Amino acid sequence: MALAIRAEGIYKSFRSGWWGQRRKEVLKGVDLQVEQGEIFGILGPNGAGKTTLLSILSTLLFPDRGKVEILGIDGLRDGHRIREKVNISSGNANFLWSLSVRENLHFYGMLYGLTGKAREEKVKALIEFFDLKGHEHVPFDRLSTGMKQRLSLAKSMLNDPQMLFLDEPTVGLDPEVSVRIREKIRSAQRENGMTILLTTHNMREAESLCDRIAFLKEGEIVALGSAGALKRMVRIGDVVRIEFNGPISCDQIIRAEGVINCSISGDLCEIIVDEGESRLASLIAIISQGGAQIKRVSLGQTDLEDVFIEFAKGTDSDMGLRI
Amino acid sequence: MSSSNLQRALIQIWAFVFKNWIITKRNVFTLFEILFWPVVGLFSVGLLTVFLQLDADMSGFILIGVISMSVIQVCQIDVAYALLYDLWSKSIKHTFIAPVHSFQLILGSWLIGVFRSFLVFLLLSIFSVFAFGFDFLRPGIGPLVLFLLGLFLVSVLIGMSVCILVLLFGYKAEVAAWSLVSLMVLICGVYYPISILPFPLPEIAQAIPLTFFLEYFRSFYGFESGYRNLLGWGFGLSGLYLLIEMVAFKAVLHHARRTGVLIKLSE
Ligand SMILES: Nc1ncnc2c1ncn2[C@@H]1O[C@H](COP(=O)(O)OP(=O)(O)OP(=O)(O)O)[C@@H](O)[C@H]1O
Ligand SMILES: [Mg+2]
Repeated sequence: MALAIRAEGIYKSFRSGWWGQRRKEVLKGVDLQVEQGEIFGILGPNGAGKTTLLSILSTLLFPDRGKVEILGIDGLRDGHRIREKVNISSGNANFLWSLSVRENLHFYGMLYGLTGKAREEKVKALIEFFDLKGHEHVPFDRLSTGMKQRLSLAKSMLNDPQMLFLDEPTVGLDPEVSVRIREKIRSAQRENGMTILLTTHNMREAESLCDRIAFLKEGEIVALGSAGALKRMVRIGDVVRIEFNGPISCDQIIRAEGVINCSISGDLCEIIVDEGESRLASLIAIISQGGAQIKRVSLGQTDLEDVFIEFAKGTDSDMGLRI
Repeated sequence: MSSSNLQRALIQIWAFVFKNWIITKRNVFTLFEILFWPVVGLFSVGLLTVFLQLDADMSGFILIGVISMSVIQVCQIDVAYALLYDLWSKSIKHTFIAPVHSFQLILGSWLIGVFRSFLVFLLLSIFSVFAFGFDFLRPGIGPLVLFLLGLFLVSVLIGMSVCILVLLFGYKAEVAAWSLVSLMVLICGVYYPISILPFPLPEIAQAIPLTFFLEYFRSFYGFESGYRNLLGWGFGLSGLYLLIEMVAFKAVLHHARRTGVLIKLSE
């Protein structure tokens, strides 16, 4: 499949102080390949460099070194062509304060070259799609956080981007609104098959939206894969607890696919697997075939949060914490 | 360029007219900008000329200066607003992630500036006819149009300087939007001939096109300038600076994409 993003050896540092004498390395050789049509997540502690990476990929920032190719176009030489095909939306987005929702959308619609009726229809459709109806005429600075976020997403779809960058799209939103926004993102993605690169601190969001996830830590990608694969990597996994009567052999169970560990104490068997829900049926089958009688089954799922904590261990995040 | 591409390019320019127009319309502050300050300025200086019992030519000399400065201030600030509104709203990155060229941003904002400052010019000229008997049509329509065009060009040069400074220094540069014009008042002979300036200011004044446009227009009111081909110098210098500033703008934008200013100013 064609690549939407090909980034190789991206380095970025920022200078500060009066003469730029202090230098902070933020990205230290990031390689990334994202396929077209994928929803790709980037996780990582505060200050890991997620926003910086997104900014580089969306042409807002030049890397110090490295190669960037977006939709097959050279990001360093041909940024203008890329900008026609991508868009960005960030949590806590800001737009022109005194312009209303509608006016802001029209302004950016014009910037993307939409004329007359086409723009009118696009703006109308986006207002409807993102449930902004009834708020079209409210100036930006009087919108609630949720409405601002929706406007930001609506703006990011004005040019029907082939590649969409979302920087913490649901930060600061209540759970219900977050769920709705996630649904909107997914259905918009399904409709036109665009590629999405998103950062988030919400693990459930990452797990439910992303096909693959990269974990960025101190400017380097330290892990990459599906949510399941990441869980397997840290070997935390989900816990399947089975109360049983009769014979059970841990040796046999541990050979089953996805099983990370197995232990028995009394009539309780604890099995750690990569993905509890999908492995449950086969585990039950193995145990039943072995002649044991199952009394009760419970599933304790580890989520990405545990993975996050595991990967972030030893990080100096911006908060100065050691997690 | 195909006609749909041309339409695209034009609507991208129009976007900046649209933005400044809506904000102007919505803002009491901008009403002050185009009505209050220019009118107050005209009257306070006009009354001063009455008090000093200046003859008609002398007070004409000064009124031309006052009106010109109001026109330039209003026109250049529209160009500066191209970035200033984004700066204040922290929305600058959205402008530069869109596929627009710098010249479109400048041109669009300049067009609305030309419109707004032309209104200021009409207003002040009409006031000065009735209040101080100043005849702004004496040079004829042709020279008047050329003079105004010169003022508009000077405005775009100042406005672009503000934009360039904003991209370089962020918030620290917004003061330039108001101070650059004052500097012009001092150097370009707005209230006096540049010959009375101490060294090296007259030499500097001769590098600024506004000096020549003012001298050109005043030559119709009996103030013969020591220079020849005033319009040639005015437009020639303007063209040269416009070119230099376009290149500088692009370079500074490139620099901003290196340092991360666009992102920093959007948080
Ligand atoms: N324009 C800039 N100038 C100077 N330093 C910057 C700039 N942008 C980011 N940084 C620094 O780079 C580091 C990484 O920032 P970045 O915003 O990429 O992190 P992040 O992973 O997005 O963090 P968060 O989860 O808090 O959003 C931070 O220490 C930040 O202070
Ligand atoms: Mg961030």
